[in-house]
Amino acid sequence: MSWGVNLMYYHCPSCDKKFKYAEDLIAYFGDQFGRCPVCDTMGQFEKNGARTLDDFEYEEIED
Amino acid sequence: MADLKALKNKCIITVATTGAWPKKENNPNVPMTPAEIAEDIYDCWLAGAAVAHMHMRDENGNGTMDKNRFAETVELLRTNHPDCDIILNMTTSGDLNATDETRQIHLKELRPEMGSYDCGTMNWLHTSLFINHPKFLEELGMNMQEWGVKPEIEAFDPGMIANAAYYLKKGVLKAPLHFQFCMGCAGGIPGNMKNLIFMKETMDSLCPGSTWSCFGVGHSALEMLYGAVALGGHIRVGMEDNVMYSKGVLVDNNRQFVERAARVIKEFGREVATPAEARQILSLTK
Repeated sequence: MSWGVNLMYYHCPSCDKKFKYAEDLIAYFGDQFGRCPVCDTMGQFEKNGARTLDDFEYEEIED
Repeated sequence: MADLKALKNKCIITVATTGAWPKKENNPNVPMTPAEIAEDIYDCWLAGAAVAHMHMRDENGNGTMDKNRFAETVELLRTNHPDCDIILNMTTSGDLNATDETRQIHLKELRPEMGSYDCGTMNWLHTSLFINHPKFLEELGMNMQEWGVKPEIEAFDPGMIANAAYYLKKGVLKAPLHFQFCMGCAGGIPGNMKNLIFMKETMDSLCPGSTWSCFGVGHSALEMLYGAVALGGHIRVGMEDNVMYSKGVLVDNNRQFVERAARVIKEFGREVATPAEARQILSLTK
């Protein structure tokens, strides 16, 4: 039994941007994991879970 | 019996078409009903899959261990496609709320060639428990021997390989073992080459002579595919583990995954194992 990547959803407390990181990229991003791609503020965690078709309001941070 | 040396260059593709979790809202192409799953398995067999790892869903799309759905799927596959000789590998972990009995009864009644054997307990998606109590694993191992069902030992971390070695020495499992390294699952070992090599070396030291396959979820999917092929292992693909084909692109069907795996295997200089060859590699007796 498996299930694909676990996504961690955040919003930025400074600029309100919504974004998500895949848990399997924690090692790749290191200290940057969870930070806002716009203002570099550490995001506030909202929820985690599987990828869905309607979660595009959260920008996926991959590189 | 084909020459075992010749078989070493063969790579088995397992397709995990459905799993217990992804739904139509994750990817509308996930096969869910017995009819959809049976047709998908056949399509993947045509593309080179030698093993089908099977999960079932209830009428709401949730994972279920309903033996009747397993039976219906097998019946549809056998009736509509009598030429299909794919190896059936049925999950024993298709519903976190299933009982020890419902996790096994389909194996007893349908006698597939293989069944999954999750060799330890873990947190699941940080929300629940994936419980595989020692009592259950001992009972399941002995039953699978009696029923002639080869365990596919799913290992989500190295400790589960150590558990398998213990059960091997205790007689609960019987050599040669076959492992499925589950890489990159939340709560399990991250999916990367260093960890894949570590899993293989752990297996080689604790359970020498075993065969192995792997899959990677999410971003590690391709790395694990290439790694398995390069290290002489076997590979599992399918929407159970990934609903995306590439960055930002949903997969259209499981056949796409199987075709890509077959291409990688051939480009590397290995060959895609047929179900008959896979039976020899995995020491299946039926």
